[in-house]
Amino acid sequence: MARIASMISGWAVNVSIALTALRTNLMRSILTTLGVMIGVLAVVLAVAVGSGAKVSVMESINTLGSNMAIIFPQPESEGGRRTETRGRLTERDAQALEKQLSGIVGIAPQLRATVQLVVQGRNASTSALGITPGYGVVSNITSDVGRFISDADVRTGARVIVLGRTVATTLFGELEAVGQSVRVNRIPFTVVGILESKGSSFGQDNDDVALIPISTVRQRLATGNNLQGPDDLHVLFVGFEDGVNLPAAKKDMTEILRNRYRVPADDISPFTIRTTEEFMQESSKVTGIFQGVLVAIASISLLVGGIGIMNIMLVSVTERTREIGLRMALGARRRDIRNQFLVEAAVLCMIGGAIGLMLAIGVAALFESMADFPAPIGLGTSIMAILFSAGIGLTFGGYPAVRASKLSPIEALRSE
Amino acid sequence: MAIPLLEARALHKTYVLGGETVRAVDGVSLSIERGEFVAIMGASGSGKSTFMNMIGCLDVPTSGQMILDGSDTGSLSSDEMAVIRNRKIGFVFQQFNLLNRTTALDNVAVPLIYAGQSTVERRAKAKAKLTELGLAERLDHTPAKLSGGQQQRVAIARALVTEPLMLLADEPTGALDTQTSTDIMGIFQRLNEGGITVIVVTHEPDIADYAQRRILFRDGKVIEDAAVSNRRKAA
Repeated sequence: MARIASMISGWAVNVSIALTALRTNLMRSILTTLGVMIGVLAVVLAVAVGSGAKVSVMESINTLGSNMAIIFPQPESEGGRRTETRGRLTERDAQALEKQLSGIVGIAPQLRATVQLVVQGRNASTSALGITPGYGVVSNITSDVGRFISDADVRTGARVIVLGRTVATTLFGELEAVGQSVRVNRIPFTVVGILESKGSSFGQDNDDVALIPISTVRQRLATGNNLQGPDDLHVLFVGFEDGVNLPAAKKDMTEILRNRYRVPADDISPFTIRTTEEFMQESSKVTGIFQGVLVAIASISLLVGGIGIMNIMLVSVTERTREIGLRMALGARRRDIRNQFLVEAAVLCMIGGAIGLMLAIGVAALFESMADFPAPIGLGTSIMAILFSAGIGLTFGGYPAVRASKLSPIEALRSE
Repeated sequence: MAIPLLEARALHKTYVLGGETVRAVDGVSLSIERGEFVAIMGASGSGKSTFMNMIGCLDVPTSGQMILDGSDTGSLSSDEMAVIRNRKIGFVFQQFNLLNRTTALDNVAVPLIYAGQSTVERRAKAKAKLTELGLAERLDHTPAKLSGGQQQRVAIARALVTEPLMLLADEPTGALDTQTSTDIMGIFQRLNEGGITVIVVTHEPDIADYAQRRILFRDGKVIEDAAVSNRRKAA
C-alpha cells in the first residue's frame, strides 16, 4: 500500500516538475505541442470521416431493406466455365422459391422500364418499377399519401401509378397529385399514391422513381431488352425474416434455381444472387480501406509532431544538464531522471492531444451541420486520441530521456 | 574503536586525457572519523575535487577502496550509489545549485522526493530545516529573491533535510563576500558541534582554519594531514 502510494506521489511529483518546466519555456512548449495538436486533429478527423462514411453507407444499404437477397438473371462473371444458358428469371421461379424456402417475409418480382411522365406540359423522365405489393414488404416502403400498389391492381393490370416524392414534385409542384391523371409513355394512368421519402444514397435520389403494377408494365410499357418469355423478370427481391442465415439461404436459392434450369454441376449459374449481408461486408471493407488510407496520411503529421517533440526534448535535456547533475547528486537514480523527462514529453503531448481532440470535435460538428456529413467522434476515439498522444510522448521522448539518465553526474554538475 | 565514517585505502583515480594518463588521485590512504570537521585543501588540479567526488559517491576509484560507513563504494551499482548520496551525504555547492523558479521550500524538499516521501512529509521536514537555518520567513521565495548568503543557507537546509551522516561542501564560500562566508562557516561549526561530520573542500586557507583538521593535496597525493593549530571560531 505504502509502496503504491509513494509510486503515485512519485509520478505526481514528475507531473508537477514537468508543468513547471513547460511553463518556464511557455512559448516553446506551445509551439512544440502545436505539432502534436495538429497531428491529433488530423488523425481524429480522419477516423471520424471514415466512420461517417461507414455509417452513411450502412444507412444506404439499410434503405434497401434489411435482410434481403437480390437475384439478377445474369451469370456471375467471375471464374468457372461459361454457361450456355442465357440468364433467365421468371415469375414461376419466384413462386417456386417462395414455396420452397423457409423464413421468407415476401418476394418482389420486378420489371424495369424507363418512362416519360407528362402532365399538363410538365414532364419527368424516371425509372418505373413494375412491382407487386410484395415490394413494399421486402423493401420496407409504403405510400404516405394515398395508397400503395394492390393485389387487385396486379391482377387486373390497372393503369395506376405511385410516384416517388421527387417525381411528384416535378410534375405537380405543391398541388395534390393523388387522383390526378398522368401520361406514362403517352398512356393515361391515375396517380393513386405518393411514396414516403427514402432520401438519397451514394449520391442517387431514392425518390426519383415511380411504381406501377408489374402486369401493367408487362402489357403496356415497352420493356423489350433481354426478356425471353411472357413472365420473365428483370430482378427478383426475396425478403427474409430477421435472424435467417443469409449465406445458407443463398445456397438454397442457388440450388433451387440450378435444379429448375438443369445447370450442369461445373457450369456457372446463369443468375447472380447478392444478399444485403454481402453488400454490407463489401462496403465495410471498402470504407475500412478508405478510413485506413485517411488515417495513414493523417498519421504522417502526427509523426512530424513527434519528431518535433524529440527535438525539443533533446534541447531541454541539454539546457538542463546542470539540473540533471544536481538531482543525481541529491539522490535521483537514473530511472528517476528518465521518468522525469518521459513524463514531461508525455504531458506536453497529452496537452497537445487534448486540444487537438477538442478542435477535432468542433470541426466534426461543423461538418455535420454544414455538409450534412456524419463525422462521429465517440468516447472510444477520444480516449484513444489521448492515450495515443501520451504514447507519442513516450516514444519520441524516450531517446532524450534515456540520454538524460545516462549523463555522468560529475560532468553534468560541472556543465554551465 | 568504532569503524570510521570514511576510509580511503590506496585510492587511485586515473584519466586518459588527450592520450596522456592523468593520475588525478595517486595513492591516497586516510580515514575520517564520525563528528570530525575536515578541510580538504589544494590548488586546482591537485586532485582534491576528484577525491571529493569519490567521497560523495559521484565517482568510483580506478583502484584502491573507498569505504563509506562500512561499505565499499567500488562494488555498488549506480542506483545504490544514488541511494547513498540521498541518505548519507548532503552536498553544498559553490554556485548553490538551487532550482530557479522553484520556492525555497520546494528546493529543500527535492532530496525527499528521491527518498520516496509523501508531499506532506516533504513539506513538513523542509519547513523545519529552513526554520532551523533562520529562513522561516522566506519559504515561498524563489532563489532570485534571496541574497547569496540566504541562497547558500537554503542549499544547506537542502543538504541536511535527509539527516545525512556528513555534509560535503565544495567551495561553499567561493561565491560569497567575507562576512557572509564567516556566517556560513559559523553554521557549519554549529552543525558540527551538533554531531554531523563536515567536510569542506576549499583553496582558501582562511576558510580551512574553521575546520579541526586540514588535509592538503598536491599532485594527487596528500602532502599534509594535521590538526588546525589556530582554529577560528565564527560565532
